Amino acid sequence: MSRRGSSRAARRAVAGMAALGVAAALATAAAVTVARRPAAGAEGTPAITVQRAHAGSATPTLKRRIVLLTIGSDAGAPKFGRGGSAEGGRADALHLVVLDTVRRRGLMMSFPRDSYVPIPGHGTNKINAAMAFGGPPLLVATFERLTGIPIDYYVLTSFDGLTDIVNRVGGVQVNVDMNIRDHFAGAVLDKGKRTLRGHQALAYARARKTLPGGDLSRSRHQGQILMGGLGTYQRQVAKDPARVMAWLAIMRDEVRSDLPFPELLRLALLATKLPPSKIRSQVVPSAAGSAGSASVVRLLPGAYSLFARVRAGKLG
Amino acid sequence: MVAVFPKLDPPPSLARSVALLAAALLLAACTSGGGETGGATTAPATTAAPPRPLEVTLRTTARGPERGFDAKRAAKRAAPGIERFLDRYLTVAFVDAAGGEGGWDRLLAMFDEPVRAAARKQLDALSLGAAAPAVTAVQPGRASARAAVLYGSRPVAATVRLAFDGTAATAKGSGQVHLRSVLQLLWTRGGWRIAAFDSRTGAPA
Repeated sequence: MSRRGSSRAARRAVAGMAALGVAAALATAAAVTVARRPAAGAEGTPAITVQRAHAGSATPTLKRRIVLLTIGSDAGAPKFGRGGSAEGGRADALHLVVLDTVRRRGLMMSFPRDSYVPIPGHGTNKINAAMAFGGPPLLVATFERLTGIPIDYYVLTSFDGLTDIVNRVGGVQVNVDMNIRDHFAGAVLDKGKRTLRGHQALAYARARKTLPGGDLSRSRHQGQILMGGLGTYQRQVAKDPARVMAWLAIMRDEVRSDLPFPELLRLALLATKLPPSKIRSQVVPSAAGSAGSASVVRLLPGAYSLFARVRAGKLG
Repeated sequence: MVAVFPKLDPPPSLARSVALLAAALLLAACTSGGGETGGATTAPATTAAPPRPLEVTLRTTARGPERGFDAKRAAKRAAPGIERFLDRYLTVAFVDAAGGEGGWDRLLAMFDEPVRAAARKQLDALSLGAAAPAVTAVQPGRASARAAVLYGSRPVAATVRLAFDGTAATAKGSGQVHLRSVLQLLWTRGGWRIAAFDSRTGAPA
């Protein structure tokens, strides 16, 4: 073999060994890489399943019944030319809301504002006068004496408050139960499911003079606005849970209450899982009457039976 | 200047480069292989390297009174406290939960009392849960959160969307762990507490 030939052979041998070395190295490296990769099967599949899929949710369980008195005042509303403070006005919208926080159901009792009842220290008068006499505490005391049901908290707003709340949450969906043309209250509404703006909600809550049933229909409509608000709140929170904070911010601006904030938040969270269909709405049994020259509403025996059932732990 | 090589040497442009590459790859492969083998038989791979610290990336917005409220400033002020809380939550629920020896009391203490019993029943959706005893280590990956904070004179409540991904090592291998939660937080005398939750674990996002 010539020197030139042997040199070529040596070069080929070295190159061959090198190629083998590269191949071996690449194979080893590939094997190691595969062994280290956490995903083994299909692309992105974990080598092992450490934890199966789980889902869970919970809202506060307050383990007791909560009773709220919701009050709409006719004062403290500068936008409607109503001066003074909301707490010093007459309570024109009155609802006693009893919530069973364990079974997630409730009862909303609507009281006609002209209900003629004993007011502690003030004889017998229309129930809406109690707040003007002694603020929310006297109104609460009046309700407690009338019904025998202990009230945990009150929640109070005004004409301005109601319209601002409704506008700031983007309207409230209400099932309007009759055609209304009440120019005294500014209510022009057709029957059916409607998203009411602030001024419409207030008009629906105030319309009385042209309605069959008068004060009783008005109380029922006020209850519908409260329930419509609950439904609107739940729909918004289902889409965006941060809406809870938005609603709380609005309530803080527009509502007065003796509810401590932690309890308010817990109730707001509980309300996200409180089906409106599980809250029974009822105007307390009552009938139009008179006291001297004043037209009033007198509670019927059925009202006192209702209070007794609630005291016994039933919801209606 | 021209370099002169002995005739028997392979040309530097091919054989030497290939040999050097082969040597480097072999060295790298052997080193890696040895480490991996050791990890597989003696300790999980994730414990070989120092664990990456958990770091929650938080975006915060704030709501306050309608008038005279500086939302940007309030969000900035609220962020560190919420970030610390979420960091602690993920540490207790995942990173420190590996091995399952610590129990869940520290995690449950982060819940508001009216929701604590429900949390105890749903630990699998809130943490490593029943998988914890089999896990030897959790290496945190992405942790991000968005918080909407309600302000009084200080932050009083917040809605937090939390996402966490990590890698959990077990004796049989490693796999991904995930958490996607909406937490409703309440400020109490004891600090932030979870007042409600909607949470998922296990399945990748």
